Amino acid sequence: MKTAQSLVQERQPEEMEKTPIVSMHQVGKVFPNGYTAVENVNTSIKEGEFVSFVGPSGCGKSTIFKMISGLISPSEGELEILGESGSDQQQQSNDVGFVFQDSTLLPWRSVIKNVMLPLEFQNLSKAEMKEQAEEVLELVGLKDYAEALPRQLSGGMRMRVSIARALVAKPKLLLMDEPFGALDEITRQSLQSELLRIWESQKMTVLFITHNVFEAVYLSTRVAVMTPGPGKIASSVDIPMPFPRTDKVRTSHQFSDIVGKVSQNLKF
Amino acid sequence: MEHTSDNLHVKERLEDHSKEREAAAKRRRNIMNNWVPPMITFVVFLSLWQFGTQWFQIPAYILPTPTDIIAASIQNSDRLLASATTTILESVIGFVFSVVIGVGAAVIMASSKILERSLYPYAILLQTIPIVAIAPIIVIWFGSGMNAIVIIAFTIGFFPMLSNTLIGLNATDRGMINLMQLYKASKWEIMWKVRLPAALPYIIAGLKISCTLAIIGAIVGEYIAGIGGGAGGLGYAITVASTTMEIPYLFACGIAASFLGIAFFLLVSLLSKVLLGSWHESEMNVEN
Repeated sequence: MKTAQSLVQERQPEEMEKTPIVSMHQVGKVFPNGYTAVENVNTSIKEGEFVSFVGPSGCGKSTIFKMISGLISPSEGELEILGESGSDQQQQSNDVGFVFQDSTLLPWRSVIKNVMLPLEFQNLSKAEMKEQAEEVLELVGLKDYAEALPRQLSGGMRMRVSIARALVAKPKLLLMDEPFGALDEITRQSLQSELLRIWESQKMTVLFITHNVFEAVYLSTRVAVMTPGPGKIASSVDIPMPFPRTDKVRTSHQFSDIVGKVSQNLKF
Repeated sequence: MEHTSDNLHVKERLEDHSKEREAAAKRRRNIMNNWVPPMITFVVFLSLWQFGTQWFQIPAYILPTPTDIIAASIQNSDRLLASATTTILESVIGFVFSVVIGVGAAVIMASSKILERSLYPYAILLQTIPIVAIAPIIVIWFGSGMNAIVIIAFTIGFFPMLSNTLIGLNATDRGMINLMQLYKASKWEIMWKVRLPAALPYIIAGLKISCTLAIIGAIVGEYIAGIGGGAGGLGYAITVASTTMEIPYLFACGIAASFLGIAFFLLVSLLSKVLLGSWHESEMNVEN
């Protein structure tokens, strides 16, 4: 287990710790119908990294995520998550959090009850569950909305609830599959800053899918560029900009240079 | 930042009062819009019936006037009440069975595609057989009286419960189920925490159909398996009234049966409001 201090140091890509939280070796997925979704994926994601996967639709981003989350298993290669091979991931449910493009909240449950959902599969008392849920709701700035129902919230607020639900079990690894894809640009930018703040305070590893290069560069310590047919990681670009990243970063020369570089790699 | 949000809260509170007044006015308008037109239709219909039959001198054994029917119900109120009680009992028991067994069967079918494929066609088959055709067999098997009538009421209300619940369970959002699988939730946890609540609007739609069908089932059952004496239900009372030519009383029984159906339906609607009111579109007063 890493101490908080060593994790803070990992923020600088060059001094990163060598513990891979996810490691993929020659991973490929061929579906039963013969379709090759991804092939030859080699990557190692270290604790504390924020890695974005960018690429066009159909490049296998979601397939990689489904393999990491254990929803499907790879047909080739080796995949290890938190030191365990992909086939036996009993411990994983508490250690990995998920956020999808759709907030997937239960409409009949209040905000706090939605956030408590992942805890219901652990042996916790009602009071402990409530306490932890309130803690993450405070973290995402929705403390006052604990008793509201999802339909009473805006799209951005629903996404915050979804993020709170993913964080409530204190995961080591957070998987986000185009979480801000359905939001308007203003909400999207404020949630990006919010996410960075949470990532820095919670000291966890985030894997983030997007097809927005600006979003990927702004958020990440590293961007994995994917190309389709069949899907593979074409290149991996380190983002050397320091944290905390303010909104000013978005207009800096360095930022647009990196965006340009990543976009260059997207062409195939 | 906090300052502005505080101000917003104060403003919200101030606006609350005028909002309440507006809401009260809206409620009044809604009552006017929703209740007055059907009431007018009702009054016009009753007067046409009353004065039409008098004008054309139609005898009471062909078409009794509303006042004849009211008089007959008051005169025979003991009999009517006893019959109605019997019918209520039969249809409620039959309805409860169709709900429990219908939802139960749907849950079983929804948790296994193979079971659904092998059982559902026969549920449809059961539904297509006219109830009047199988009712005599049910009477032969279970004897005439309460048991047979309850089973007939159950049979008629079962399929709407089954098919509605099954559609609801199968229509659950895929993303929600994926999420639960990621939490390593068991099949039954997914069923209990996600699929059943998500199917609730469909189940309620089934309840609304089945509750009135259960009364029809009970009355059909009484026609065929009715027991005499004081224990007969409304269906039996109708058969008796038609042979003894008590036409106003026959009408009273028919109207009583339809009132039961309405009361049953309103009760289920109330339940629907309680269960879905806060979160489902079907029970919310959406403005646009």
